[in-house]
Amino acid sequence: MGKLEQLAKAGNKPQLSRRGFLMTAAGAGLMFGFARKAQAAQTMPSAMPTEAAFEPNIWCAIAPDGSVNVNIVRAEMGQHVGTALARIIADEMEADWDHIKITEVDTGPKFAGKFVTGGSWSVWDTWDTFRQAGAAARTILVEEGAKLLGTTPDKCTARNGIVTAGSKTISYGDIVAQAKPTRSFTPEEMAKLPLKPASERRMIGKEVAALDIPDKTTGKAIYGIDVKLDGMVYGRPKMPPTRYEAKVVSVDDTEAKKIPGYIRYVVLEDPSDIVPGWVVALGKTYPAAMRAADALKVQWTPGPTIKVSEADIIDHARTLGKDAKNGTHVFNDDGVDATFKSAAKVITAEYTCASVAHYQLEPLNAVARHIDGMWEIHAGNQWQSLVLPQLSKALQVPEEQIVMRSYLLGGGFGRRLNGDYSIPAALASKAIGGAPVKLILTRSDDMAFDSIRSPSLQTISVALDSSGKKISAMNYTATAGWPTQVMAPAFLAKGLDGKYDPFALSGADHWYETGPTRVRAISNDLANRTFRPGWLRSVSAGWTPWALESFIDEVAHATGQDPVELRLSMFTATGRNAGEAPNSTNGAHRQAAVVQKLAEKIGWGKTQLPADTALGIATSFGQERGMPTWTAGAAQVHVDRKTGIVTCQKLWLVIDAGTIVDPGGALAQTEGAALWGLSMALFEGTEIVNGTIKATNLNNYTPLRIPDVPDMDIEFVESAEKPMGLGEPGVTVIAPAIGNAIFRAVGVRMRHLPMRPADVLRELNNHTV
Amino acid sequence: MTTKFELNGQPVSVDAPDDTPLLWIIRDELNLTGTKFGCGIGECGACTVHVGGRATRSCITPLSSIEGAAITTIEGLDPEGNHVVQVAWRDQQVPQCGYCQSGQIMQAASLLKDYPQPSDDQIDGVMGGSLCRCMTYVRIRKAIKDAAGKQGGATNG
Amino acid sequence: MLKRIAAIAVGLGAAGGIGFFAYAWYPAIAPVARPAPSSFSPDAVKRGALVAAGGYCAECHTRTDNGGGPVMAGDYKMETPFGDIFSSNLTPDPETGIGNWSEAAFKRAMNLGIARDGSQLYPAFPFDHFTKVNDQDVSDLYAYLMSQPAVHQEPRKNTVPFPINIRITGQGFWKLLFFKPGRYQNDPKHDAEWNRGAYLAIGDAHCGACHTPRNLLGAEKSGSEYDGAVIDGWIAPPLNEHNPTPVVWTEEELFQYLRFGVAPLHGSAAGPMSPVPHSFLSQLPESDVRAIAHYYADVDHAATRSSGDAAAVTRAMQMSGRNLTGPQTQDADARLYQAACGACHYNSGPAPVSGRPELALNNALWLDEPNNLYQVMLHGIGAKEGQDGIAMPSFYAGLTDHDMARIAAYLRRTRTTLSPWTDLEKKAAQARATLKTPPINASH
Ligand code: FES
Ligand code: FES
Repeated sequence: MGKLEQLAKAGNKPQLSRRGFLMTAAGAGLMFGFARKAQAAQTMPSAMPTEAAFEPNIWCAIAPDGSVNVNIVRAEMGQHVGTALARIIADEMEADWDHIKITEVDTGPKFAGKFVTGGSWSVWDTWDTFRQAGAAARTILVEEGAKLLGTTPDKCTARNGIVTAGSKTISYGDIVAQAKPTRSFTPEEMAKLPLKPASERRMIGKEVAALDIPDKTTGKAIYGIDVKLDGMVYGRPKMPPTRYEAKVVSVDDTEAKKIPGYIRYVVLEDPSDIVPGWVVALGKTYPAAMRAADALKVQWTPGPTIKVSEADIIDHARTLGKDAKNGTHVFNDDGVDATFKSAAKVITAEYTCASVAHYQLEPLNAVARHIDGMWEIHAGNQWQSLVLPQLSKALQVPEEQIVMRSYLLGGGFGRRLNGDYSIPAALASKAIGGAPVKLILTRSDDMAFDSIRSPSLQTISVALDSSGKKISAMNYTATAGWPTQVMAPAFLAKGLDGKYDPFALSGADHWYETGPTRVRAISNDLANRTFRPGWLRSVSAGWTPWALESFIDEVAHATGQDPVELRLSMFTATGRNAGEAPNSTNGAHRQAAVVQKLAEKIGWGKTQLPADTALGIATSFGQERGMPTWTAGAAQVHVDRKTGIVTCQKLWLVIDAGTIVDPGGALAQTEGAALWGLSMALFEGTEIVNGTIKATNLNNYTPLRIPDVPDMDIEFVESAEKPMGLGEPGVTVIAPAIGNAIFRAVGVRMRHLPMRPADVLRELNNHTV
Repeated sequence: MTTKFELNGQPVSVDAPDDTPLLWIIRDELNLTGTKFGCGIGECGACTVHVGGRATRSCITPLSSIEGAAITTIEGLDPEGNHVVQVAWRDQQVPQCGYCQSGQIMQAASLLKDYPQPSDDQIDGVMGGSLCRCMTYVRIRKAIKDAAGKQGGATNG
Repeated sequence: MLKRIAAIAVGLGAAGGIGFFAYAWYPAIAPVARPAPSSFSPDAVKRGALVAAGGYCAECHTRTDNGGGPVMAGDYKMETPFGDIFSSNLTPDPETGIGNWSEAAFKRAMNLGIARDGSQLYPAFPFDHFTKVNDQDVSDLYAYLMSQPAVHQEPRKNTVPFPINIRITGQGFWKLLFFKPGRYQNDPKHDAEWNRGAYLAIGDAHCGACHTPRNLLGAEKSGSEYDGAVIDGWIAPPLNEHNPTPVVWTEEELFQYLRFGVAPLHGSAAGPMSPVPHSFLSQLPESDVRAIAHYYADVDHAATRSSGDAAAVTRAMQMSGRNLTGPQTQDADARLYQAACGACHYNSGPAPVSGRPELALNNALWLDEPNNLYQVMLHGIGAKEGQDGIAMPSFYAGLTDHDMARIAAYLRRTRTTLSPWTDLEKKAAQARATLKTPPINASH
């Protein structure tokens, strides 16, 4: 079982009955859109199922008026996940789409442990569950409908929320109203229900308007930052000089006291040690809190990493990599060392990637208060199940006394998998007796507190056989800060000789046949101590293919082979690369297929381009071996030899993600992901300076904007296989495709991300000397 | 200090320090949360509103400077939420997380007043200040052209 | 608007000598009972209101600090390196205002810069211009002022120290050197409109007070008329042929600017200039504003210099989209400009769109120093300034000194054909320091 499946299955604790759940929920107004402040309008058409509704399982309920509510535990952060998931359940249920409503649920015992949205796996993971849940509903509605129509289920068909037998019909709503069905299914029972064949699908794969979109065009959509509670005060942190171990020595608020609306400051006491050294300025308005934080004079003893730089972290990685005892092996086939020893030729290269910030557009924020014996946290969050125990430790109360209310996320990209920002809000509220505190980080606070994508170092060597063309062994080391080790150690993966962070390796464990292969993951402890490494869109697959695919191109060039041909020759789909049903049926053959299709699409080897302009290609398997989204991409770039400026003129992607549930959403995700790839290849990236990241805001962090968008051609391979993730794979191949195109355009090999004009120029100069 | 201005066609009077950014007045005092806080330094466009009909970054516009002005937020762009740009945004399924989109829509609405049939360059020039971290740019471009087509080149209030 | 004049013109020190008392001494003019407002003809009062508007009296005679004060009641604070001086109360209050001034006393003040009691007025009161105002206008102005409500308000005491405060020496000596009293005389070489414009510009509107550089003793430099000068951290640009903008200030541009606060091809009135069109010239008959524009279009030789204007506009329009459109750029300065400024300042087509000030044409980029660019970045422009009803944000908290310098250098390099500005970051810090309180409560 892949790491993600484990993550998904973990926390499938026994569920309370519907009645039990409702009783727990009643006082607290547990559902999204329910018991919100008047001005905080609902985000989406959502419906708390009424008592009279039929609830065949925890995921859906059919009301007597025919409306169907679908419960969504996945965070809505732009992927229209509610729509895609509701399509799965509605299709199997044969529901009327116009009657579908979705509810983004708050945390609570009913869904305990299910709250995680990341890794592009929402659809993939929910696919079976939601089809079964839909089937459960349909089965009972047809049974009960048949009774009401005076016939047997086998004489009935269900379509569009209506059961038909001959000329007689009855709607789902009427069935619920009249028969009042109560039967519900356990997960085990549901797993045995027959599912519709692919040919009978009526919604999956069809265009649909996302349910969350209308309110996002009128200003009605409610995000965490929009929460307003009675008696709420505003807070802004004064950021400590280091992420860890900073201690407050003194606070002087003489100047802050002159600011109208300033209330007081709070030095946070944090038993969870997630926000050490934090001081929060409280004000009656946010501008008051903002200026007060600027005016507070705080003295700290900084943590020991106060002098650490990006170069220190990379140097440390290099030192770690030299010792064979370090790290965890993911592959370590017999004969690696022997083959290298006898190799005709060895090629080695080293690749580095800079720190990258999330810059999710909604700055981090959370509202916390203590009310009726419960701690309420109002915030957009991708992994409530992770932060709940941390909150429990910080607040020193059992988890059952904490509820997290769900809101839309103004961007996730992995930043809100790490819910650390809710801790200071909770602690600030606790410090003032549980009154509601709305903590908002300004952008520079948000940047300083970011769980950045760790800078990384990758070293790859291959042995070539006597032909001088064929790779006969590979040795691959990837070193970076490990987010999972720091934030969720229980989810580390088991390697051959220890544990490792799959989110700091996936992508390096490729599907190429490279003879005896060793892949080793090393945790960069200096990175882990300096900042809190984060999961960032496409996670390790945002940087491992950069190295691997650049390297394969280097090998092709060094051995006089065509880069496409070389890749295809290594997709033998044997051994561990043969694939496994249902996730990776056909294995590497499918990766070969997307590469081939891409090559045809771009006229590889057949097009004539102007001077200093060229195509480059790269391929990946999306996020991880357990859930491969077979991806091939190409970039056409022009390099200005005078300035070093690289212009990406066009991007192509061919993707096999199995069944596409929501084609419009899938395309939107892939467009966004590809542009993230481009942004991280050419436009963004920062560095650690004095223990913190250098970039503070858009004046010195420069992500891609609309004029930078090249032409794009994105194609999904038609498939009836199980759907894989699509939120991130589009990122993975862009940087290496651009790097490879630069090489073909002007003959220089870029080995650092991002590829800045100055670096290109330097390489050009070195090259011509 | 009391500042009077017009918000979405209604006269309002606000008691707040002169140097308060318009953004927080709109969001926290007047409870219209459609206008968003992104960068706080005038470089992302999430907080864009119209002042006197022109797209303006509210996060760094002090209250003192809008005395007597007419402000329009996303909530007031069209009483039914059916401004030609909003309709195009839904037709083209533009928003992802949606956080930037109030600002994008306000900026696009003002773009169409200046350039009723905008070229790609004109779209880039005007929309380049509006960051979309979800990178919905391809659809933003399409929706602007769609809206331009729908409004038939006429300038529009 | 006149703060700078105060700043310099106070600084004369004990420049005077004994023998000079004879020149500087004036007798008091006997106080009178406040004339009844009904004693003035309504027409005279109406005309006088226009003279007051054309001379911006209210601008310097209305308190703006301490929560503001009643119009014309004085106590406007002018900071000088030597101390603060406070303007006098122009309402007809007998004790604290000019209620007991006879018309003769008022006329002497306008003509010679002498108060009713015979004391010398600081040249912060631009009597060197007001001496040009004709007797009829002075009389009308008197009628207007005396028929306004009286406000009892004693201006705060000046804090200018001895001996500068001994006005009879300092100010008297100054006059001896620089002051030529006398009413405006028509120039027969020019038509009536030109003469009307010149009369207003030189006299009542006292444009030279800001736009003509001053010598060390604070007097307008002879021979440098309208060469431009620094005032309150802003540059009052040259009004003559030395004005550097790529498109010439034609009569129409001048008229639009003076009447509505916006010249489509030059920019809008901001900072100390902002009230001139918005609060004052907008009240004058249109023909008077036209006349001023007509006069300055002659002063700056618009007729002979404007042949290149069309080409300049074309070139500016081509420059406007640079780095904002077309192929991607990774130039960090260009990207900063795009993020902070481009959305509002980008232009395309044959001419700038109204409300989209084109920086490639704007005064601020073409002046010798970045003062005005910086001031506008820091302050922004309120809805009541510049172009009516629209606002530019304040980048005080949005841009660091370093960022301001990057944008200034980038624009000068890419949007003008002039040599680069120097010491940009230092000058940004200096410009920031001229704002005592941040205009906006925001943070990075
Ligand atoms: S929040 Fe105002 S421009 Fe970014
Ligand atoms: S839709 Fe998410 S930032 Fe634009």
